[in-house]
Amino acid sequence: MSAYNKPLPKPAVESKPFWDGCKKHRLLLPRCLRCGSYWFPASVTCPKCLSLQWEWAPSREKGKVHSFGVYHRVYQEGFEPEIPYAVALVQLDEGPRLLSNIVGCSPEELRCDMRVEVFFDDVTGDTTLYKFRLVENP
Amino acid sequence: MSHHLRGKYAIVGVGQSPLGRVPEFADIGLFAIAAKNAIEDAGLNRADVDGLISHGPDDAYTHHQQVGQALGINATFSTSTDNGGASQVLGVAMACMAIDAGLCNTAVVGYARDAWSRTHRSAEAKAMVAANSETQAAKEFGPEFGMFGQPAHYAIAARRHMHLYGTKKEQLGAIAVAFRKHAQKNPNAFLRDPLTIEQYMKARMIVDPLGLYDCSVYVDAAGAVVVTSAERARDLKQRPAYILGFGFGNRLTGWFADDNMITTGAKEAGETAYRMAGVGPADIDTAQIYDCFTHMVLLQLEDYGFCKKGEGGPFAASGALEFEGDLPTNTSGGQLSEGHVQGMLQICEGVRQIRHEHGADRQVKDTEIALVTGHGGNTVCQSALILGTEAS
Repeated sequence: MSAYNKPLPKPAVESKPFWDGCKKHRLLLPRCLRCGSYWFPASVTCPKCLSLQWEWAPSREKGKVHSFGVYHRVYQEGFEPEIPYAVALVQLDEGPRLLSNIVGCSPEELRCDMRVEVFFDDVTGDTTLYKFRLVENP
Repeated sequence: MSHHLRGKYAIVGVGQSPLGRVPEFADIGLFAIAAKNAIEDAGLNRADVDGLISHGPDDAYTHHQQVGQALGINATFSTSTDNGGASQVLGVAMACMAIDAGLCNTAVVGYARDAWSRTHRSAEAKAMVAANSETQAAKEFGPEFGMFGQPAHYAIAARRHMHLYGTKKEQLGAIAVAFRKHAQKNPNAFLRDPLTIEQYMKARMIVDPLGLYDCSVYVDAAGAVVVTSAERARDLKQRPAYILGFGFGNRLTGWFADDNMITTGAKEAGETAYRMAGVGPADIDTAQIYDCFTHMVLLQLEDYGFCKKGEGGPFAASGALEFEGDLPTNTSGGQLSEGHVQGMLQICEGVRQIRHEHGADRQVKDTEIALVTGHGGNTVCQSALILGTEAS
C-alpha cells in the first residue's frame, strides 16, 4: 500500500478535542451551555452569546449537501488521481456547516440538498477524517 | 440632511504602472511608479503628499513603510490596510476621514502586486511564496478534503445560487464576454483576444461550475490615486472626481455561514454608500464592479440593487453591462480581462469615466455618477465608493 500523500489537518489549539473525537469515530460539536447553540469550528466564546461555558457535544451525524464544487484542476498531487472530485459544504442538522467529501457518489450524481450521514475514514494510524455518504432511504 | 462628508473630498489624480508580466519590478517598485504617475497627473509634487494608505501582497509586513521609503515621503498619516480586495475603496474612504480629522491634507492611496512574477520570476521566488504560506498557523477543515485556492469558494456559492434561482452557466458567461469586449477597447488590458460565448462554454473547468474564463487574470501591476479636499481640487490640473459616498459590509461570520454567500455584505455597503451620496441604483451611470470571478459580479448586481435577488443571471445576460446597455460595467475590461489588480484599476477607471477623459468608443456618454466596488479579505469584505462630476 502506498503512503498517504494528501494533506493532513494541522489543528488549531481549540480543535484538538474535535480531532480526538474523530479518532474515536464520534463527531463532536461545540454547544453552548447557556444558549444551547452549536457552532463550528471551535472558538473560546459562543458566537451567539459570548458565553465561556460550553461543551463538546456529540452530533447526530446527519445533514444535507448545501452546495459543492467539482475540482478539475490539480492543486495538490495527492488528489490528482481523483480528478474530477467534489468538495461539498455539508449542513449538519444541528446547524453548523463543514467542508468535506461525499464518498460513494460521483460528482455527476451529486445534488444540493441530498441527505447525507457521517462516516469516519482512518486515513493514517494517527488521523481520522470525517466524511459523508448518501443516506440510503432519506 | 446630507452627509457632512458628501462631496467634501475628491480624487484628483490617477496613475498606473506597466501591467502584465513585469519581472524587473517587485511590488514596491510597481507601487512607486503608479504613485509617481498619480501625483504628476494631479499636477502636484511629492512634497504635497502627507498621507499614504497602501495595500500590497497579502504576506507583506509594514507595506506602507516600504512604499513611503521608496517615495521619500514623511507622512502625518500612513498605514497599510488588510481587507483584501475591499482595501482599495477602504483606503480612499480612510483618506477622506483622515483629511477631515486634520491628520493630513493630501493622501496617496494605492495597491501593487507582482502577482505573476512572484511565482514565475525564479524557482527561489516560488519556493519563498510557498514557504510563507506554509507558516500560516492552522490548516484544517479544507485542504485534507482537497479544498484549495480561491475559485472553489465562488464555485460553491455559484452552485447554490443556481440551485435556488435557476441561474445558468451561460449567464455567467455573458459577464466574461461583455468585459472582454470592453478590454478590446483598452490598449492597456492584458487579455484582448475576442471571446465568444461558445469559447467560454467550451473552456476547461477549474472548479465546476466555474471554468477558465470565470476567473480573473493574474498580472504584475499597480494603481494609485491622490485624494484631497474639494476646495483644493478646484485649483488642480484635472477635473475632480468628487467622492459622494462610501460604505462597507463585512460579513465576518464567514462566507459559508448563514446566507452570506447568497446575499453578501455588498447589501450593507451599498445601502450605506447610497444613503451618504443621496442616490440610488437607478442614478448610477456606470459601475466598476469587483470581478475576481464572474459569479461575484452577478451577486453584486443583485446586492447593489440593480436587479432583484435571484435575477442577476437574466440581468447580466440582457446586455445591460455593455456600453449600449443600461449599466455599462467594467468599462476597461475588469479584472477578468484587463488584469487583477485588486480593484485599484477599477477606481482609476471610475475616475476617468467621471472626468469624461476617454475617446467616444470607451466613454460612457453623459456619465455623472459612478459606482466602484471592492471585495475580498477572504471573501467576506465588501466596499462601495460613489464618485460624481459635481460636489453638490
